[in-house]
Amino acid sequence: MNAWGVIKTIIFGGSVLLFFFLLWFYNPFKEHEHYEVDKEVKAIIENPWKKTESGKTIAEEGRELFIANCASCHSLRYDGIYLTSVQNNPKWENIAKTFGRPVYRYGELYKDRFFVPKDVYESFAHEDLQSLKESLGQVPPDLSTMYLARGEGYLYQFILNPQKVIPGTTMPQIFNPEFDPQAKEKVAKIVAYMKSVNTPPPEEQSKRTVMGIVVIGYFILMGLLIWIYRHRLLKLLGYH
Amino acid sequence: MGLIDKIINWIDERARVSEVYRAQMIDYKVPKNLTFPYVFGVLALVTFAIQIISGMVLLLYYKPSIGSAFDSATYTIMGEIPFGWLFRHIHATGANFFMAIVYLHIFTGIYYNAYKRPRELVWIVGWLIYFVLILTALSGYLLPWGQLSYWGFIVTTEIPGSLGDAPILKSLFKAIAETIVLWMKGGYVVTDVTLGRVFGSHVLIYPLILLALIGIHLYLVRAAGISNPEGIDYDKKKNPEKFVPFHPYVTLKEGAYVMWYLAVFFFFVFFHISHFLPAENFEPANPLKTPPHIAPEWYLLGYYQVFRSIPDKFWGFVAFNALLILLLLLPFLDWSPIKSARRRPIFFVLFLAFMFASMGLTILGTMPPTPQNAMIGLILTAVVFGFFLALPILSIFEYGWHKVRGGEEQ
Repeated sequence: MNAWGVIKTIIFGGSVLLFFFLLWFYNPFKEHEHYEVDKEVKAIIENPWKKTESGKTIAEEGRELFIANCASCHSLRYDGIYLTSVQNNPKWENIAKTFGRPVYRYGELYKDRFFVPKDVYESFAHEDLQSLKESLGQVPPDLSTMYLARGEGYLYQFILNPQKVIPGTTMPQIFNPEFDPQAKEKVAKIVAYMKSVNTPPPEEQSKRTVMGIVVIGYFILMGLLIWIYRHRLLKLLGYH
Repeated sequence: MGLIDKIINWIDERARVSEVYRAQMIDYKVPKNLTFPYVFGVLALVTFAIQIISGMVLLLYYKPSIGSAFDSATYTIMGEIPFGWLFRHIHATGANFFMAIVYLHIFTGIYYNAYKRPRELVWIVGWLIYFVLILTALSGYLLPWGQLSYWGFIVTTEIPGSLGDAPILKSLFKAIAETIVLWMKGGYVVTDVTLGRVFGSHVLIYPLILLALIGIHLYLVRAAGISNPEGIDYDKKKNPEKFVPFHPYVTLKEGAYVMWYLAVFFFFVFFHISHFLPAENFEPANPLKTPPHIAPEWYLLGYYQVFRSIPDKFWGFVAFNALLILLLLLPFLDWSPIKSARRRPIFFVLFLAFMFASMGLTILGTMPPTPQNAMIGLILTAVVFGFFLALPILSIFEYGWHKVRGGEEQ
């Protein structure tokens, strides 16, 4: 390749790489909203599968907090949590077992939790959801995937002080650091629980990483082998 | 002779595979000086195969109804089914890579003037593939039934509605606009029926059309011969030293490139999926709540930016459709007898301007719509149109130069 060829390669290759870097990695021109988790509770959200002093994992404690504080308005169907009023309905257990199936996630079965199809649940809970809508203005959303949609910083700040993030929202401030010294920790545990529903646990995560490295390594190596083989073959055939 | 050899011979005697192989792989000769960008064709083919295979797996578990579409994608496929996540990641990455590779392929074709006689049909069929591919991408984007899916689809189907703002024949244009919108949506509101139509189109109708078009595209490339980076179509019989057998010379080279391409591909699948499965789309579709920033996917942002830079909606719609039509008519706009940007310095400069303007429009599409951005968008739009409209004029000059220099056939 002559000098002009090198210059053209740099122009075209460089601009294509820059273009896709902006689209697929980081675009400084795009508007970004950013929310941070407070430093003192960051470690709680980092690893929801860690055991605490009580012998339970952080995620399990978060789940209990969620049922006690959030489930009167919010369901989390992917982990078998439905509105408290629905759960207390004696017919619900039968419905859940008939139309739903036990929660199964990342290779682990939860026999006592049921994933019920959305339409079945919403028809059964129609009155409960409508009465919530009447008092709050809208049906509080299901929180199954909210961790993926909004991210931990947003959820943490929003639960801790809803009015600060969405002024005028009907979501109440359940955990107030002024009155409850453990408020931040509790919110972090709930966020950690929501993370555990949507993120593969560490063993699964490391399996995926190993798999990725092996697959990528395989293709790089195969490419190299084909390249070397071709080089030798063409020499033999006299094409070089 | 072993048993396996016997079986192979038995099949070969009847199917004549080795004859076809010899004729199509070894006796088939291609120019020796093909450059790296010629690999994009085979990469697009590989990506198409990846999309078909991963799509088949997703099809087993996806449910096309508005009650269960989101859950089947986000709960069943991502968590319940072993390796479901892998296939969804592959399909999402493949969709973006397919568009990216096809764009690179198109720009390579423009750079080397691969659309000129005798390859006009290759270009036209390629354009059809591009068009059906956009439809496939748009329809596939609705299927996860997230907020972005839903609102992206609504916005896209509302765009033809801007035909109704026509300055003349308002009632006629309005009727046409309404009909197009109705056809795209399958009704006045997006319901279960729409999702069913879109699902059927995405998994069966469009892929079948694509398969046929890709077959025709490949046949036409074989029939007309591969273009040459130098822009000179040498005779295979007169200049045998300029040609090499397709196998093993090209197959092994492109085989190695395909392997490295797959390495990059799987880097995104395993370690960098967040841009292909955007966070906002993990919120189920809610017809009552419009998300703050809705824009089409990146591969349509160029057209979208042309549309929104022009102050009038009707002319914006006309402009971005005109761009698509100009792209189709490229072989007839650029009728100059000289081929390849390597031998056409003015075309090279025009191509650079066109390429940077297209990239600029796309990046601009990701930015908020301020008056200043609209102004820049308008200038870049003018550059893109300028490229297409300058080609016939350039062709007149080049025809003259070509004749003055003797005008030998190439």
